[in-house]
Amino acid sequence: MSNEQARMKFFCDNDRCIECFGCTVACAEAHELPVGISRRKVITLFEGIEGKEYSTSISCMHCTDAPCERVCPVDCFYVREDGIVLHDKTKCIGCGYCLYACPFGAPQFPRDGAFGTKGAMDKCTMCAGGPEETNSPEERKLYGHNRIAEGKVPICAAVCATNALLVGDAEEVSAIYRKRVSTRGKGA
Amino acid sequence: MMKNFSFFIITFLCLASAAHAADSQIWGQAMIANIPDYGKENGLNFGPLFVLLQSGYFSTIFFCILVGVPTIFLLHYLIIGPKIFSHDGEKIYVFSLFKRIIHFLAAIAFIILVPTGLMIIFGKYLGGGFLVELARHLHGIATVIFLISLIPMFLFWFVDMLPTLDDIKWVFILGGYLSKEIKEIPAGKFNAGQKMWFWVSSVGGLVMIATGAAMYLQDFNYGIAAGLGLTQINLLRAAVILHNVLGMVITAFFFTHAYMSLFAIKGAIHSIITGYKEHDEVMYLHSSFYKKLKQQSEI
Repeated sequence: MSNEQARMKFFCDNDRCIECFGCTVACAEAHELPVGISRRKVITLFEGIEGKEYSTSISCMHCTDAPCERVCPVDCFYVREDGIVLHDKTKCIGCGYCLYACPFGAPQFPRDGAFGTKGAMDKCTMCAGGPEETNSPEERKLYGHNRIAEGKVPICAAVCATNALLVGDAEEVSAIYRKRVSTRGKGA
Repeated sequence: MMKNFSFFIITFLCLASAAHAADSQIWGQAMIANIPDYGKENGLNFGPLFVLLQSGYFSTIFFCILVGVPTIFLLHYLIIGPKIFSHDGEKIYVFSLFKRIIHFLAAIAFIILVPTGLMIIFGKYLGGGFLVELARHLHGIATVIFLISLIPMFLFWFVDMLPTLDDIKWVFILGGYLSKEIKEIPAGKFNAGQKMWFWVSSVGGLVMIATGAAMYLQDFNYGIAAGLGLTQINLLRAAVILHNVLGMVITAFFFTHAYMSLFAIKGAIHSIITGYKEHDEVMYLHSSFYKKLKQQSEI
């Protein structure tokens, strides 16, 4: 086991993802997301091209040294000790800077204001809620279900039928993937 | 004219919402395609550049402008002092009512745009949330007022604002603002400083509106990004960088414009309220214009 402090990461094994959209649907259900917001997306590239086509699942990757946190003009981001990148929706002004900084296009903005103005940013919380009191109705309303506080795995990885989507301490996730790659084709 | 204009605005808004409903330019397949691009050297990816500028430079430079420019003017006011012309003498009519109304609209827009823009930049010191979000919305609403004033203002002042030989001489003596002596300054109806402000605020203002609109609409597809050889997200990144850099220039010029009209030339602001400039002010500060008026025996 790792000696270092756990650093939570997602990893999607593209060889296993079968584009079932289970993660997307489960996430939207668990967090009661509004229409138009999808914290986790399944994307297929090179569709129909043999040997090149692959699908993958993507959301906020909870970066170490997160660029969103560095550019936010109102400092609404914070990084938990376990590396989960969260933000305070009551501080967020919906300017969109985090989206421009993000390599993964994770931040999304509900268009719920008059003339379709952007509201507070929404992104994956790794099912860890937000700065409000844990499991309070306010937290649930703004950020969705706080499964981490209940000792549960983030819903997307929990429902992944092929175990393509892995989540956990970065070193353990890479150990699992390393084992998969090294044993591939050996009948294990 | 007005009918065409309102038609343009309505079409624009309809198209914007239609584009929003279509395929996403940011959150579709581009999400994956954009990843390996990020941080790649000599590519057209402005992500890391934006992070660098926004996290380290933009707010610092804006702070320097916010403090530095007024400090320079305070020193100028204390050391050199304002230019004072008699307000009792003859007056020369320079700005028609229409021009004054349009300028008033632009002034209202700028009085909202500049402080709300600064509020967004320094949002963390205001605690974010409702107040700064309100500033963001006002910033957008004031843009519409600015857009309405921009087109006629550009058209009626365009010719007067073209550069002339006087402007070079004006720049060399910095408009005579570094001396207490009152003498004839080479300038037409508008001096080189006013012309610089005109071009910065009109052409620069148009770029500000375009980049601001891009950030407001975010996920649109008018073929602009493709035309520039960029992905949508990089178009937005280029827009935000350009918006901030031009914002610095416009903020500095706006402070200068306000200082000149309110303090540096005592009572100069009245010309844009009443339409009349003081005789002596025109004679000294716009000497070429004055001579031309004399020739045409309009005064």
